[in-house]
Amino acid sequence: MRRLAVTIVVAMSVAALASLAPRSLVPSACAAAGSHHAALVVEHGDGSVVSRCVAFDASQVTGEELLTASGIAWSGQTFGGFGEAVCAMDGEPARYSSCPGADGYWAVFVVRGGGVWQLSNVGISTLTVADGDAEGFRFVPSSGNPAAPPLPAGICAPASSVPAATPSATPTATGPATPVATGPPTPAATPKPAATAVVAPTVRPTAATSDVAAPGSVASPSFGAIDSATAAIAGVTASFAPTSSAGVAPGFDAPAPAPGPTPGPDLGLLAAALAGGGLGGLALVRLIAMRRSVR
Amino acid sequence: MTSASARPLPLPLVRHAGLAPRVWLVWSLAAVTAALASDNPVYRGLVALAALNVLLTWLPPGRNLRPLAVAVVLAAAFAGLVNVIASHTGADVVLRLPADWPLVGGPLTVESLAFGGALGLGLVAALLAVAPLSLILEPHDVVDAMPAPLERTGIAVATSLNLVSGFGRTFTAVRDAQRMRGWRPRGIRSWNEVLVPVILTAIEDSVLLAEAMEARGFGAGRRTSYAREAICRWDWIVVAGALGAAGLLIAARLAGTPVDWQPYPTLALPPINPVLVAGCLALTLPAFARAAPARPRDTGDRS
Repeated sequence: MRRLAVTIVVAMSVAALASLAPRSLVPSACAAAGSHHAALVVEHGDGSVVSRCVAFDASQVTGEELLTASGIAWSGQTFGGFGEAVCAMDGEPARYSSCPGADGYWAVFVVRGGGVWQLSNVGISTLTVADGDAEGFRFVPSSGNPAAPPLPAGICAPASSVPAATPSATPTATGPATPVATGPPTPAATPKPAATAVVAPTVRPTAATSDVAAPGSVASPSFGAIDSATAAIAGVTASFAPTSSAGVAPGFDAPAPAPGPTPGPDLGLLAAALAGGGLGGLALVRLIAMRRSVR
Repeated sequence: MTSASARPLPLPLVRHAGLAPRVWLVWSLAAVTAALASDNPVYRGLVALAALNVLLTWLPPGRNLRPLAVAVVLAAAFAGLVNVIASHTGADVVLRLPADWPLVGGPLTVESLAFGGALGLGLVAALLAVAPLSLILEPHDVVDAMPAPLERTGIAVATSLNLVSGFGRTFTAVRDAQRMRGWRPRGIRSWNEVLVPVILTAIEDSVLLAEAMEARGFGAGRRTSYAREAICRWDWIVVAGALGAAGLLIAARLAGTPVDWQPYPTLALPPINPVLVAGCLALTLPAFARAAPARPRDTGDRS
């Protein structure tokens, strides 16, 4: 029995260590642009839309790899054979304690070869995307049939007009008022991704990620470019302007402290610390007294 | 016969040595409600500490806390472990098990560990909140504390629970007796010599218990009462504090005040409201009632 237990423990440890080994980046050769492209469309609950055209070299990638390579911050949960489900993306919901949430969830769609959106019946880690396909996400209410995001037509322009995505240290906020990041590019106003970045660094943005560069649109060689094609579809524009810092994957850095006066001590925290300390101390004293009386 | 003599005499007041059983029942229910009204680990921890203080203050001599401690630790550890291995979400990955492993496969994260800890803390708080009903009160006190519509149900449940321990005692006695006769366990079939007498004895005990309860009028109507319970000032204070604590948490939730803690995708400090902290502290009031002057057990008052 003991031998069996030791064998199981050793096997689990070996498997865990093996899984910790760095995995090759899927679009590893996509520093500038890959040979294949797939569109990614994300529609928030408020109707704002973010879209990306992601390049990759492999014949097909998983939906998870495509999403990760897009630079959009997301957080997921593994559901056995279903695969990875998206719990939060691009700051929606900002926080959650259950996945899928009680109020809404991220529905996953896929377009095969220029067709229409089809609801995916597998998780994004199981879903595969090939050249010309598209992956879509829409935050939908928990009840009812999930509606599809805007069609991905035109998001992946010809390769010549797709600029290489290089992580930019300069926050970009161009175009009209945006639902995601309005006002000056302060750390507090911009990066939803910084708050929800959960993607493992091994599968992060070395891929050529490009925002749509429709003719006449503003195409900045950074993650922060405005997606004018998406704006045309959804009627809104989405700004995505994370900053970059040393040692952290671009687009997923932690926000700098907000400027302004330093906040004072949290009264609630202070009260909880005092109450907890007092009650804990009192319980300890009683326990000691009880043990002494037993002796 | 005058009208004054026709009036029934008021029932004598019975003063308990401690808090009245009904007060304990209200306190326990309020503490459980407060512990489960939110998944905020701060409030749950405070409720657990308050209940622990109350328990340590009122624990009668000779009562052992070790079984409760073991149950509490096991429940908390189980809840935490299950959440860690089943909830593969969160930003800070500690370990990544192969995804094709059923249930446990996927990333194990700090956030799921923290949320599992909060779940365990809720179980700990709930267990400590109901512990006085079994460790401080006698079974008949619990039955008497129940509202009239639940009285007979309480008796039936208490009797059923009593049979469980009786079954264990019978099993031990029969097994020891068979061993003295030379019986030794040799496979499953040999246990017939123990189990058959145990089952027969259990049935016989149940029949005896039913006859005894029938003879005492169970099911014939409400139990008669020769005394009414005295509710003193500290009883009211404890009830007010307990109901206030539970009511505050429920009111805060209904009012939309952030009460719950959401650990995903990255760990963050739970929202802490000083008023709700004070409400949780009110659950400690029974611990201070102990310092009140001792009251006589039975001072009947027919005036």
